[in-house]
Parts: sequence; structure tokens; C-alpha cells
Amino acid sequence: MKPPTATPAGVPFFTQAASFDAWWPEITTHLDDVFDRGKFSHGRKVEQLERAIAEYTGARFAVAVNNGTDALTLLLRAAGVGPDDEVVVPAFSFVASASSVALAKARPAFADIDPVTYGIDPASADAAVTPRTKAIMPVHLFTQLCDMAGVLKVAARHELSVLEDSAEAIGMRWDGKHAGLLGDGGVLSFFPTKTLGAIGDAGMVITDDPGIAERAGTLRHHGRIGRTIDHIAGISNLSGASGTNSKMDDIQAAVLLAKLPHLDNDIATRARLAAAYDERLKDVPGVLRTPTVVQRPVPTDPVHYVYLIEVERRDDLVAHLTARGIGTEVYYPIPLHTQPVFADLGYRPGQFPHAEAACRQAVGLPFYADLPADAVDRVSEAIREFYTGSAA
Amino acid sequence: MNLPFFPPDLFEADREAMLALVHEVGTTPDQKFILGERTARLEAALAEMTGAKHVVACGSGTGGLELSVRALGLGPGDEVIVPAFCCQPVASAVANVGATPVFADIDPWTLVMDPIETEKLISPRTRALLPAHVFSIMADMPAFRDIAARHSLALIEDAAVAQGAVLGDRPAGRWGDLGVFSFFQVKAFGTAGEGGMVLTDDDELARACRMIRNHGQDGVHRFLHHRLGLNSRFDEVLAAFQLYRLPGFAERLERRAKIADYYTERFAALAERGVKAPPPGRDGRCYYVYSLLVERREEMRAWLTEKGIGSHVYYPVPLPRQQAFGEYAAPGQDWPNAVRAGLQNVAIPIWPHLTDANVEYIADTVCAFTQ
Repeated sequence: MKPPTATPAGVPFFTQAASFDAWWPEITTHLDDVFDRGKFSHGRKVEQLERAIAEYTGARFAVAVNNGTDALTLLLRAAGVGPDDEVVVPAFSFVASASSVALAKARPAFADIDPVTYGIDPASADAAVTPRTKAIMPVHLFTQLCDMAGVLKVAARHELSVLEDSAEAIGMRWDGKHAGLLGDGGVLSFFPTKTLGAIGDAGMVITDDPGIAERAGTLRHHGRIGRTIDHIAGISNLSGASGTNSKMDDIQAAVLLAKLPHLDNDIATRARLAAAYDERLKDVPGVLRTPTVVQRPVPTDPVHYVYLIEVERRDDLVAHLTARGIGTEVYYPIPLHTQPVFADLGYRPGQFPHAEAACRQAVGLPFYADLPADAVDRVSEAIREFYTGSAA
Repeated sequence: MNLPFFPPDLFEADREAMLALVHEVGTTPDQKFILGERTARLEAALAEMTGAKHVVACGSGTGGLELSVRALGLGPGDEVIVPAFCCQPVASAVANVGATPVFADIDPWTLVMDPIETEKLISPRTRALLPAHVFSIMADMPAFRDIAARHSLALIEDAAVAQGAVLGDRPAGRWGDLGVFSFFQVKAFGTAGEGGMVLTDDDELARACRMIRNHGQDGVHRFLHHRLGLNSRFDEVLAAFQLYRLPGFAERLERRAKIADYYTERFAALAERGVKAPPPGRDGRCYYVYSLLVERREEMRAWLTEKGIGSHVYYPVPLPRQQAFGEYAAPGQDWPNAVRAGLQNVAIPIWPHLTDANVEYIADTVCAFTQ
């Protein structure tokens, strides 16, 4: 693909360059702190970010780690998931929702999704429960939370832990409670394209459970007991459990701390951009679905993280947009139950029709707080042109 | 005098340049922040420097060991022989895939895994050896290569602390089927964050490591996951730092070695007085940490503290005696040299920006303790 800026009509799938540049003075202030302090991972800035995220989400505990995948694996291990256990996960998600279960030495059991919210379908999750099931992992994708009332009901009926893959869900709330805190614990990913994104890998475990927080906090630093954050001599502490190195870099924490005060404003901007896309795409033939926020029995806060549409002839549309310098991302082209990595679990195509339909039809459009309003017009026009042969 | 053990102002001289690199990466036109063009250039630079056919940048030294163990396909029922006196990742990387770490005792002076003890522990289930270089000394890699070849075992070289060392004419990281570097900030080629690398000449192992570091993807088909993978990737901003700091690496390493030479010469006479310096020399050496073996260690540490000199004790308890790995310790098995090393080792400052006067003061203070 040519660089998106090469053509005037080009729109990159993602950029935060303008915000980064605008916020550089604040970023520099935090970076100077890091250099003054001289600890560049698992240091004071990381601890400061933990407190800030705990405050933003209302979590009792926030445990900074190297990335969202590690956050899931450590959350599962900290919640006691291990060999011989099964965890119910949706068949439509990023691979980490299921690979984290395998990395915790347990087995993922797949369930279908709701076709509107892309969240796990509680009835399908219920059907996936076996005597070995230890937990259910709802994944909140793109715009809104799963049907958490339904998920919690299934979990209660079978006495399962609820561990939320809330990697994409910063700012999403269910009856005032932040994503990740509706069950036993959740995670956040600060992958660069996320609503709150670093300029590298970073992630976090959030929970109200002191035991999970303590175990996850220990496992991320080689299982070492005692203080390790902002305490470099802790590298020689003894290990209580076989852990890993999943420390967050302080440079990433500095960038995130500088961006965090702008988060709610960004979320509002995203809502406006989503409404603009909705308006321009609503009567375009070939567009089967635009993001739809579902009404729940309690108030919820959606966050437009990805603007995902479902369309006819998806791959042809992607090629059409690419040729016009418009970036897209197919979330996700292959359902988890038919990924080669999970072939030995014995699932077949056709078992989870909603997940499979989404994989055939869904595509994410350029969408980020820095997206200029006229870019929404250009992307929408290019889509209309593809399906009607002419612009509006 | 205040000379902390862990180097202060680690990147002070480079602060402005490094901040400029953060801005450059943050506003980079392609907005690619992970495993991008800078990481590829760093991999190429390290390949050229070490002669390795493949260099795979990853999230940390621990990540490098985890990639290595998974690339070899190790799992339940497999045994890997690791040093009893070492950092936890040599054991956790093995245990976390369900394989069994088997702990070998160390040489009482060089503190690296003992090849003779290692060979005694080989069983029909042994699949790999995982010797680690410790403090300033490379493990006896010719011996481990020989053992691995005779028993058809894989060899993973934990060179986390030894980047830049050369044993004979072969650099650290190039002795095993897979070698691992760490860029943790205090390491010889440390960076301003977490990073590591796997080195290998084996095309298949390299391919496996590249896939495993990024969720089992092949680097071409996004969101197609061929095998169980991790997220153990390298950030562009750190690749930019490492490329920027690479030209000064040899000089910083030489400065460390010069300080070590001086210490070792000054401390040669202290051996009968209960303070044993590491062996002199430059072959197979890389002075990440300069550690002494001291009979009255706690008194020595108190003395150093009183004189404003920081010190650090590494690995106070052998790995199989720690709660995390106790289940892997065979009943009755003992690691007397690892136990003694835990009780006697004390490391003193060796960071490259110590002045000559600092170094003399530290040496004088250590010598005065034995008077």
C-alpha cells in the first residue's frame, strides 16, 4: 500500500501523531521525571499510572504489566486457572482471549457471540460449560460491553469465575461500574491503537480482589515476593511462584499519563465521529450493519473504540479502499475455533454461525480521535462509490 | 562519598537525544511502534556484530528464554538442566511450559553451572541444557557443546548478562542452538526499558521464535495463528535508543573491563584474608557485575555502607530452595556450592561512568576491610 499521505484523498487506518505532537510538552514533563528517577521499567512512573488508572476506573487494584496478552495470562493464573481447567471464551475475538487460557495451561472452550454487540452469547456460553469449567471470559469488543447480566447469571448458576477481557473497554461502564470490574477481574491493553494507547506495548490487570491483585503483581516480576516496583534491589527477592517478566516500561507509562487527562474528551470526539459515519453510511446499499448500541436494563456507557461495519463483498471493498489510500483492518478474518493453533480442540466450521458471519463480513474503518471530519466524508463516499458505482 | 550499587544517571548524557527519539517515533509517519523498521535494523546490526544468522528481538531476556523453550517444542515430561545459582527465568521459562527444570550445582569460584555435575543429571527425559553466564564469567561452553552433542540434547545459552563477551574466538550468544541477550537497563547493553534478543543459526528455530513472539502469526497473514504464541515484542522507541547507543557500546564495555582488571589486581592479595576476587582475564568475560566471595559478608557490606559504597547480593538462596521451584528439587539433592555462593557473594559498583578516583576509593575501602 502506498503511504496514506501520498494521495490527497488518503486516510490512514490509524494515527495519533497530531495528538502526540500537541501533547509533547506534557509528555516531556513525565519523561523528564523518568530520566531523573533513572528506573526505566517497573518504576515510579509505572506506579503513578497504576494509581491514575485505579482512580479512573474505580478499581481497588491496578497491576501494570507489559501488554494486554500478559495481563490476561496473569489474571487467569492469579485467579487459579490451571491445568485440567476449561475457560469459556467467545469464538470471535483477538487470539489472546483464547491463547492466554492455553498459556495458563488450561483449555479454551468456545461459545458463539451476539450478532449485534459481538459479545459472548450467554446461552451459548451456558451450553459450553462442562464439569471442568472454571471460568467464563466475556470479551468486550469495539463499542460496548457484553450482556453482563446474562454472563453473570450463567457464572452464578455454575459457580464460575468471571474474568473479563476488557482490553478494548477503557471508559465502558455497566450501571456505573467500569469494564473489568463486573466479575473477579479484568484487563486493559494500551496497545497504540487503543482508545488510550501507548507508543509500544503496555497493559494492566484491574480487579477489586486483593488476592488476585497480589498474585498477578508477583507473577509479573518473576514471582518475587516483597516490594519490586520502584525498587531495583528487588531483583534478588526470592520467588514464591514460577512467574515471568512482564514489567511495563516507564517511558510508556509517561506517555499514557500525559494522554489520560484527554481520554474523556477523546471518547466524546469518537462518539461524534461515529455518529458522522452512521449518518453517511445509513442508506448505503451493501452496508449490512453499522455499530449499534444495545439498550440494557441498566444504564451503560459505550465507547466507540473501533468503527466496525459489516458489508457485502468485504474483501473487494477493502481492495477498493486500499486503492484509494484508505486504510482498513479486518477484525477478525478467522474465528478462533478454526484457527490452526486450536485445531486439536476438535471444533468444526459451522458451529458458531454468528462468529463466522462476522468474520466474513466485518471490517474496521479509519477511526481515532485525530480523524478529521472531512476524512469521514471521504471514506464514506468511497464506500458508497464501491456499492453504487457513483458518489452521492 | 556516595557510590550507589545500581548506576545512577544511567542515560543522563544521552537524555536530550533520547527524548528527541521518543518524539520522532511518536510522530513517525507510518505510526508503527512495535516490531517495525528500527527493530529490523537493530536485529541486522546485532547479527552483523555477532555473526549470528538470525537475530530475533523480543520483549525481554526472559521472553527470549521463553521463546527458545517453546521453539524447541519442550513440554510436559521433558527435562531441562539449569543452574541452581541463577536468576529465576532459567527455571520459570522451563516450568511455565509444563517441562521440568533439573538443577545442577555450580563451580565454587566461577559460579557458573558445572559441566560434570550437569552430565550426572542427564536422564532419558533430558531434552536440553540451559547454562547461564553469571556476573562476569561465561559458562564453560565448549564443555556444554560437547555434552549436548554426545547426548543429542539441545543447547540454550543464557547470555543475558554477557553480551559483548568472547570466549576463544566465538562471541557469547553464539554457542548454543539458541542464545539469549537481555537489554534490562543495568545490563552491559541495557536500554531504557525492557527488551531482549534470541540468536540462532537455525532457520527453523528462527522462524519459530519469530512466530511465537507475535501470537503465532507468520508476519504475512495478519490474524492467522499457526501455533501457540506469546506477546514478546520489541518497541520501536527502544530500537531507536539501542541503534543510537550501539556505537558507544564497545567503549563502555572496555571501561567496565578496565575497572575489573584494576579491582582484580588490587584484590589478588586478599584471598587468604577471606575476600576472593573473580579470576583475572578477558577471555570469556563481560563485566556486567563484579562480584566477590566474602567470608564475613554482612560485616563487609556494613563496612561498605558506612563508607558510602553500595553493594548487592545476588541469588541469596539457590533456585530449588525457593518456594517457586521446590517441587522440582529431588529428595536429598543438594547444591553446596550454590548455597555457599548465596551466602558469600557481594557485588560492588562497576558502572562505566565511575571515575578513576571512585574506583580507587572502592578498591581502597575493600582492601581496608581486610586490614
